[in-house]
Amino acid sequence: MQAECGEIQAAGLNEIALAADLKALEEARVKYLGRKGRVAELMRLLGQAAPEERPTLGKAINDVKQAITQALDARQQVLEAAAQASREVEEMIDLTLPGRRPRKGHMHVVNQVNDEIVGIFTELGFQVATGPDVETEYYNFDSLNTPADHPARDSHDTFFVKPGVVLRTHTSPVQMRVMERTQPPVAIIVPGRTYRVDNDASHSPMFNQVEGLLVDEGVTFSDLKGTLMLFVHRFFGKDTKVRFRPHFFPFTEPSAEMDISCAVCGGAGCRVCKRSGWLEVLGCGMVHPNVFGYAKYDYEKYTGYAFGMGVDRIAMLRHAISSISYLYENDLRFLEQF
Amino acid sequence: MRISLNWLKDYVEIGVDADTLAHQMTMLGLEIEAIERPGAELSGIYVGKILAIEPHPDADKLVVCKTDVGRGEPLQIICGAKNMSVGDKVPTAVVGSKLAGGFEIARRKMRGLESFGMMCAADELGMGDDHSGLIIMDPNSPIGADAKPLLGLDDVIFEIEVLPNRGDWASMIGVARELAALYGKPLHIPEVRLDETGKASAEYSSVTNDAPELCPRYIGRVLTGVKIGPSPDWLCKRLRAAGQRPINNVVDVTNYVLLETGHPLHAFDYDKLVENRIVVRRARAGEIMHTLDGQERALKEEMLVIADAGRAQAVAGVMGGADSEVGGSTARIFLESAYFNPISIRRTSRALGLITESSQRFQRGADPEMALYAINRAAQLMQELAGATIAPGVLDAYPTPVPPREVKLRYTRCDKLLGTEIPSDDQRRHLTALGFVVAHHDAATCTLQVPAWRHDVTQEVDLIEEIARFHGYERIPATVPTVRPVEHRFAPEDTIIRALRHHLVAAGLTEVYNWTFSSEQAVRKTRLDERYLDMVRLANPLSENQATMRSSLLPGLLEIAVHNLNHGVRDQALFEIGPVYRPVAGRDLPDEPPHLGIVLTGNANDMHWSRPQTPADFFDLKGIVETVLDFFGVAANLTPAEYPTFQRGQSVSVTLDSAEIGRMGKIGSETSKSYDFAQPVYAAEIDISKLIRKPQPHRQFDAIPAFPPSLRDVAVVVDRAVSAQALLETATRAGGKLLCRAQVFDVYQGPQVPAGKKSVALGLTFQSQERTLTDTDTQKQFDKIVNAIKTTYQAELR
Repeated sequence: MQAECGEIQAAGLNEIALAADLKALEEARVKYLGRKGRVAELMRLLGQAAPEERPTLGKAINDVKQAITQALDARQQVLEAAAQASREVEEMIDLTLPGRRPRKGHMHVVNQVNDEIVGIFTELGFQVATGPDVETEYYNFDSLNTPADHPARDSHDTFFVKPGVVLRTHTSPVQMRVMERTQPPVAIIVPGRTYRVDNDASHSPMFNQVEGLLVDEGVTFSDLKGTLMLFVHRFFGKDTKVRFRPHFFPFTEPSAEMDISCAVCGGAGCRVCKRSGWLEVLGCGMVHPNVFGYAKYDYEKYTGYAFGMGVDRIAMLRHAISSISYLYENDLRFLEQF
Repeated sequence: MRISLNWLKDYVEIGVDADTLAHQMTMLGLEIEAIERPGAELSGIYVGKILAIEPHPDADKLVVCKTDVGRGEPLQIICGAKNMSVGDKVPTAVVGSKLAGGFEIARRKMRGLESFGMMCAADELGMGDDHSGLIIMDPNSPIGADAKPLLGLDDVIFEIEVLPNRGDWASMIGVARELAALYGKPLHIPEVRLDETGKASAEYSSVTNDAPELCPRYIGRVLTGVKIGPSPDWLCKRLRAAGQRPINNVVDVTNYVLLETGHPLHAFDYDKLVENRIVVRRARAGEIMHTLDGQERALKEEMLVIADAGRAQAVAGVMGGADSEVGGSTARIFLESAYFNPISIRRTSRALGLITESSQRFQRGADPEMALYAINRAAQLMQELAGATIAPGVLDAYPTPVPPREVKLRYTRCDKLLGTEIPSDDQRRHLTALGFVVAHHDAATCTLQVPAWRHDVTQEVDLIEEIARFHGYERIPATVPTVRPVEHRFAPEDTIIRALRHHLVAAGLTEVYNWTFSSEQAVRKTRLDERYLDMVRLANPLSENQATMRSSLLPGLLEIAVHNLNHGVRDQALFEIGPVYRPVAGRDLPDEPPHLGIVLTGNANDMHWSRPQTPADFFDLKGIVETVLDFFGVAANLTPAEYPTFQRGQSVSVTLDSAEIGRMGKIGSETSKSYDFAQPVYAAEIDISKLIRKPQPHRQFDAIPAFPPSLRDVAVVVDRAVSAQALLETATRAGGKLLCRAQVFDVYQGPQVPAGKKSVALGLTFQSQERTLTDTDTQKQFDKIVNAIKTTYQAELR
């Protein structure tokens, strides 16, 4: 019997070692460890052995069973790993093929820039306010200290709807609309369409402005400078230089235009900045007392600043767009670049 | 305004280079639009003296000159000009010199003889286009000296923008005054000494002012013995630098004084004035005048004219008349210097479409005090340059002299507005340097007399701006204010629209941004209903196809689709969010509701190696519209409807609370034809104003089911006319509480079902919140649904 045990163990281990795949291994398992397998057969023979031999024989059979079980497990692991490996080879794909993307949409570049500008000011605590495109002369001009025969109206080539009604030439009328409705503090940022009778490579009859207004006690020109410099550093980068030049607007005094160091040449002078090293980006100033008069605000108690910038021009500067006409032509080959 | 640096130096000492000066002017608000350096490209141009002129042995039209340029031996120069003589001094370029246009002089053989340089005509030095002969220079010019400064070619011209409120900057003196104040140096205004002889002006002429409200001051002078001729070089050089063409000595003097003082003058031919006198009056009804530009002008009664005893001889402050124009035979002059009402000049100038150097200055507000200086300055120059005799005295109609204005300044107010701490002495000093006169002052305030040329200064803040300018904007600190938060929100809809834009972009659509102009023609082309013709019309449109504001987004979107199709972009998914404009009866301003427009055409998905492209159809469009409605959280109805714009049977109406808020569908064949579409186009337009305003209740939590669902499918064959929606509604009604969801998962029509029929497969989900459903429970409800569909629609099970 002992000899038989040794023989079965040797044959079993050999067959297990030769099993080429999991199926062959399973057959070996059934053949040796199955209910009717060779080990089970040994167990039956054990019943016929002399009682004093049984413990020794029993241990020998158990050893055989254990050795075969271990060999099966070990072989199983090897074969499973091999099977997995071959499956993986089978499933290999060309990883360089393009991914399956959801269809890509694009926000219009003017609105992207618009949102970014407005976002910077709303973070500072300014609230978005809006107003109509078709506006009264009162809000567009008169209440902004620009009476009918004011020479400043010459620079606004105005679209008229009828006497007293125009397409707004700037977003400034929203200043008055808001001030009429509310008492200080007022901190608004006003994006919107604006219109002037002009159409060439740098002018579009419809364009976009963002207007800002802050009115409260103790607002100063230095606050205006500080706010706008912060804006420039956030939007154009902190190395951008800023300068304020005196200018004239009927609805602010003192008034200024703000220039930034040319983004194209870094201030050295180029075609874009007309060799000056500077680019004009916005107009601003302290709210004129006559405007407060129309708003019925107390100019002794409150002061305020206002600014307005052309979004189209800023978008063109940022993205090196050579003509404003691209912005409103809506050619997908243009729109999809942004 | 063109400012010549050389000329400017007559009035103020300038100790900085041109670039620094440009920066300083910029920082004072004198915006530099361009800087010209007329002689910048020239180099090596010397004063040469012609020592000899010999004929060229082999060319009739050339001569051989010996010219001394103070550099070694005289140069042999072959020349084609004829106007020079031996001993003349001429600008001479040598080998290596550069002329206008970058042309470099080299040694050159001309008909066998070598030439070592070039003597220059005006055009070769970039001084206009005169090539009639060499420039003959002043005989005192030193041989070998740099010729550029002697010819004014070292000048720098600053083209400055004159701000609308600063008429005084439209003059050399006005600009010099700013710089003198900046440098703390004196302003040199040329002194006028008149040599008046003979009969007094008042004996030659008279001024009747019938419209003092439009002409507060009118000054006249009479000059006799005038010899009209060309102006001297120095004057021509300055006029050219300022961008003007010299005409004759009298006209040139009036223009010169205008440029110098900013005060427009006019010279009439005295002998052409009826009764030799001046009447300032409004134009008569129907009065017609020939202006100097050769036009016939129909005048209106509100326009001011300068007339003689009979006719109008000038449109006051705008342009003179041809009848009394100064010409070659003029011997006596009536010289005018007036102060006109700026608004009247502006209106007249606009009404006649006539913008002149004069009208631009008067409409910004001239200086009534300067009027007297300017006429005397001009008289002096005419005496010097045209041999005029100046009749003693002026005719001065100035019934109510304008008293100087006084404005009070509080030093603390200045600092409070600017955020500065500028000492009061400095504040005052900045103002007095500009010509403001301190009337009185104390520790806290200062009262200043405003100079007559400063129309723009009427209140304290005007003074503060001057202090800020001269203190320097650059020196004002930068501080970031605290913005106090408020509860009220001004434009909550703006946030929603921004979010919607992102939503649509994420859904794969590309945003377009159209001009908001439109036209009736565009409405017709799109076959929109008549009510879209009720549009906001522009009084002065750029063109006929932009004559109105848009009443719909569709025409603009369809034009963009065409544009892109024409440029080879076949697959498009576009949207636009923006206002349309609807006139409102009885109100000045129209409604401007925000609309959303969508256009789909071509394939619905991008090309990909793993799957075919499928053409966009109605359901791609509907899906987008449904996600928009989901975005707003509203239950709007989509019901079949017919519109001329869309194809019958492929368009629906979007309604909210039984009002139509939008339409969508496949663009119909007629509209398609007018836009020249060669492929199907789908479009939608929704008025989102109501969606934005609709209150959105907060979503309330539904308990997540604790018991498993049970799923059943059924396919029914029904008439094609039976809508999916009807089947689902029937199923929902019959399924009772246990049916928690019914969906269509397949629709088939074709050979597998009888003609005129379709098969619709429904997926039904049963679920209870209280228990796990048994097969019997589910089967019972399922049978009810199947029976209801069978009886309602004569459906067959498939």
